[in-house]
Amino acid sequence: MAMKRQMFHLLDGARTVFCAALVGASLAAAASAEEAGTNQAVRDLTQPNSSVEVGIGDVTDGSYKFGEYNGLQNSGQFGVGSFDLRGGGSYDSSDATRWRINATNLGLDTRNATAEYGEQGRYRVTLGFDEIRHNITDSYSTPYRGVGTDVLGLPSSWLVPIVPLLSATAPNARGLSDAVATSSALVRGVLTPPSGAKLAASNTLMAADLPLFGQANLHTTRSRYDGGASYLITPKWEFAIKAGHEDKEGAKPMGSITATTGGDISTILADPIDQSTDQISATLGYHAKSEFVQFVYNGSIFHNNIPSLTWTNWAQPATTMTMSSAPNNESHQLAVTAGKDLTRTTRLVLNAAYTRNTRDGSFLTDASTPLVPNLDGLVVTKAFNLKLTNRPRRDLDLSLGYKFDERDNQTPVRTFAFYDANTVPSATPINSAFSAALGVPATLLANNVNVNDNRPYSRRVNQVNADADLKLTPTETIKAGYEFQQLDRWCNGTWIDCMDAATTQENTAKFELRSSPRENLNTSIGYAYARRTVKAWNENAFLALVPLANVSPTGATGGASAYSFMLENGLSGYGPVEGYAATTGNMNLFFPLNNALANATYQNQNRISEILGLLRYNMAPRERNRIRGNLDWQATQTVAIQGSVDYRDDNYNDSLYGLLKDHDWSANLDATYTPTENLGVTLFYTHEDQRSKSAGDSYTANSAAKSVNGSTAISGGCFSTIALRNANNKIDPCLNWGTDMQNQTNVFGVSLDRKNLLASKLDLGAQIIVSRATDENNVNGGNYVNNPLAVAGAPAGTIAAYFVPATALPTVFNNSIELRFNARYAINKASSLRLTYIYGDMSSSDYAYQGFQLGGLAGGLPTGQTSPSYVVHVIILSYATRF
Amino acid sequence: MKIQRALALWVSVGLIGLVGISVAGAQEAPAANAQQAPTASAQEAPTASAQEATAADRTLAGDAVCTRCHDETETKPILAMYKTRHGVKADERTPGCQSCHGPSVAHQKNIGGSASQRTRPDVTFGLHGKSDAKIQAGVCLGCHEGGKRALWESSQHESRDMPCAACHTVHAANDPVLTKVTQPEVCFSCHKTQRSQTHLFSTHPLAAGKMGCSDCHNPHGSTGPHLLVRDSVNETCFTCHAEKRGPFLWEHEPVSDECTNCHTPHGSTNPTLLKTRVPFLCQECHSGDHAAQVNSGSNLQNGALTTVNGINPLANASARIQLGGRACLNCHVLIHGSNHPAGAKFQR
Repeated sequence: MAMKRQMFHLLDGARTVFCAALVGASLAAAASAEEAGTNQAVRDLTQPNSSVEVGIGDVTDGSYKFGEYNGLQNSGQFGVGSFDLRGGGSYDSSDATRWRINATNLGLDTRNATAEYGEQGRYRVTLGFDEIRHNITDSYSTPYRGVGTDVLGLPSSWLVPIVPLLSATAPNARGLSDAVATSSALVRGVLTPPSGAKLAASNTLMAADLPLFGQANLHTTRSRYDGGASYLITPKWEFAIKAGHEDKEGAKPMGSITATTGGDISTILADPIDQSTDQISATLGYHAKSEFVQFVYNGSIFHNNIPSLTWTNWAQPATTMTMSSAPNNESHQLAVTAGKDLTRTTRLVLNAAYTRNTRDGSFLTDASTPLVPNLDGLVVTKAFNLKLTNRPRRDLDLSLGYKFDERDNQTPVRTFAFYDANTVPSATPINSAFSAALGVPATLLANNVNVNDNRPYSRRVNQVNADADLKLTPTETIKAGYEFQQLDRWCNGTWIDCMDAATTQENTAKFELRSSPRENLNTSIGYAYARRTVKAWNENAFLALVPLANVSPTGATGGASAYSFMLENGLSGYGPVEGYAATTGNMNLFFPLNNALANATYQNQNRISEILGLLRYNMAPRERNRIRGNLDWQATQTVAIQGSVDYRDDNYNDSLYGLLKDHDWSANLDATYTPTENLGVTLFYTHEDQRSKSAGDSYTANSAAKSVNGSTAISGGCFSTIALRNANNKIDPCLNWGTDMQNQTNVFGVSLDRKNLLASKLDLGAQIIVSRATDENNVNGGNYVNNPLAVAGAPAGTIAAYFVPATALPTVFNNSIELRFNARYAINKASSLRLTYIYGDMSSSDYAYQGFQLGGLAGGLPTGQTSPSYVVHVIILSYATRF
Repeated sequence: MKIQRALALWVSVGLIGLVGISVAGAQEAPAANAQQAPTASAQEAPTASAQEATAADRTLAGDAVCTRCHDETETKPILAMYKTRHGVKADERTPGCQSCHGPSVAHQKNIGGSASQRTRPDVTFGLHGKSDAKIQAGVCLGCHEGGKRALWESSQHESRDMPCAACHTVHAANDPVLTKVTQPEVCFSCHKTQRSQTHLFSTHPLAAGKMGCSDCHNPHGSTGPHLLVRDSVNETCFTCHAEKRGPFLWEHEPVSDECTNCHTPHGSTNPTLLKTRVPFLCQECHSGDHAAQVNSGSNLQNGALTTVNGINPLANASARIQLGGRACLNCHVLIHGSNHPAGAKFQR
């Protein structure tokens, strides 16, 4: 009994102690919870956090244009995976070690990952991986096999497309179109439907070839791996190095041409891409209070694993052609930048760089290249920059700068002989004087060979600029500046100056006024005027391509060459600005009938002289005016407004042909409303307008021809008869043409952010961007076209040719809507659910795509490519946690 | 062979670096300035606050002067700075609050009332109503001078009174301008036209977050035009487009001159970032042979020239190849340059 009583007391005591402990623990927990809550909030704000996000997304419709760079090109589900892991010493510890591993878009072809580790103040090491997929076209189709490789062939069942009604043998890609094959055509002036036999031939052709076309989606992917390290040797010396290796693979559309059938045959091929680029950048820097110096090495090694592409000629399947690819190249640069405070108010910064850029010298040779010397490429670039800044007074800043940048192309000049696009050599040998000058046997080269010298272009920039900033008042600053730039261009080793404008000089004056009339209002307006002049325009620069222009051809008298004859008679390659006249002697050889310099006299298959008055715009004299205005106004605590205008006007006043005028202007307006920290609305609008005008002349050659198959009259144009027109071809004003191109874009955007809804658990965001772009191309002028009814034996009075006025091209437009909606729901402090919805809508139209369709181009194989349009919905649901 | 050469290059650079470290390590003894707070730049006469800042307490205890008010209840990011490199106290170079904002004694004494009634800190950062841009920059450059900022003085942004804090958000855990995905939006706060151009038909992958503005531009100042990262436009473009570097056997003059003769890098309504569509772009420089001919709607399918005023039916005529498909580039393919002996016309 006593034992029982003792046990009871014992238990009672234990219960009391237990309760007391429980109460005590509860009180202690309550007190520490409050402190812990505060500490947790501080920890959240001050300690590095890590986060992980996983989820799933879905794309409703596949579109290469929608997914051009974002990895969302395919319909269907995709994984969402991202993480950002951080660690290391706490901010308030003695450990400066920090590390981070970050990865985004793990479920897509645009994934990225980086890692870094280091001790802040001593060293850091980084690693990275990045993928960029560029989706180019998903509407390309081709009959070629081997897409993705460097050999593209046609199946053995391929039949050469023809239009039987027009010719039983002449290749004609339009024959793949049923509409063309079944249409009537003019045959010897008579509108004739296809016969049964011809229809059958067309059907056989289409039945054989059309099924061979298969779709090939073309894209390229860049995969980049890089690593870097930096080390703070001392507080003043730092060394950093970064190296990257990038592989680029895939295929992209590329044109091609062959002339083996006597005419130009083109097709869009899938050009295989397999390239790598290695880049290294190393910097050793010293920095003290008033001086610094940096030594930099930049290296780049580009390697192309596909040096050439071979393909079968669709018009002559027994033949193949080969095209070269970008050559391997290397670039190595050493640079040094140094700066010193000469006085407390004067600083001098200098920079110098030396770069060697070389090319691997292996050339492709085939039957089209009978004369191929060996040579390697070398470009040496030197750069020097100097900047002197001075602040003589607190309200005045002055700067003086000098820039020297020279690209010296030291690639040797050699003479090459080749036939255009695998053209079959003619039976007639080249001019005997030319073969003798080249030192080759008289029968080696045919008279349809091109003999060209390469032109290694070099350029040198010398530029001086001076600027002054003066604070007129504490809220107004005026800025004035002047810049002089001289650009010299040349080719080392060419037999004649290769540049239209060996030297251009440009003077620029600029002024700007910045004003802050109120504390929260900043405005600025600026104007710049620039005038570029040319010391002398060289009309004969084109001759640098054709060395035989300096050789007297067989048939010339007095040892005259094309070049010497031009000089002697004060003529450019365009020749006399005159109509037809009977010519004799050397005039008849070099400028027959007052036409442009005969291309046979410089052994080139194309006339390469330019029309008088065409000045290439990158060198041509130019006047430029530029105006800019900005306004930035924090109107109230909750409303901010920004506006800007930018106007540029270029006039090429000395140019009669080519680009004459080019101007663009843009206006921007932004408004932001943030009534609370939980609500923000932004509106923006941009209008951009670009306009350019150019001119040309459709002349061909004066001739004595007086009729077209006996018909003589012309309808329209500047001359009433064939004889008059042909006699005045070079000076026919109706052959002058002009373009007036206008490009307008309007972009409108709204974004809305609403935070802390539902007791601070829900954040919402939405953004919509609407873009409208149009491209108008107006053309004036025209050209003549022979009347297909003007055949031999046509009735008297039949029109021989019509003048067809130029008409505007169809408007090119591109309209898009991008809508993005985000919602984030906080499950708790650390975790959240995220919902993202993306809507993309694009419609576009471009007349150029007509050329890709069946029946489009006689000489171009169709690919079926269409102007991109899409409507795509993307929805993504993910879970994210922070720790 | 190429791998061996690349490897040799990497090893050579590594050796150069090691030599550099050895040389540098034999130089200066560690300077005492690691303990000093940042001073204003040499261009600016030291202000009173800058002189006092040299004695600022960069420790946590010193920061407590500020964080006892600017604590976790602050709605703007303040304490989040401790997550960043600016908050790693174990690094002797790391500043304290007063290292950048000045001792702000007057601000400490007058903190009552509304924001407009309180005395501001000695140095405030930002665009509107803050300290002079040069004073702000002087604070930052006290530590961050050199490197990419070597040419800051009289650069385009500096000469327009753009303070560092106009682009950088140093108090936030993640500075948006330092991440490719969010960087363009920071730049677009001023460069609105470029913002709209990134939504055009043909663009670089900025909107997709795969490129940032700083891939091409150094906003802190550079030797190149338009603040480009390299000395010239072409050298900048070659950092990603090395296959265009050449030198090619047959060069296309406007290409070796400057890429922006034909391309507009921020965005275009024309394919491949061309300023003007082909063939018109080509005809602005070329008038020889078939380049001279007019190209207009009349040359298209069913245009007046293909139908000859309605007389010549479809089957007989083809649209001008210079207007269809890739226009001049149907045939003149390797327009950036060719390395083929028969490539003078960029067809091989």
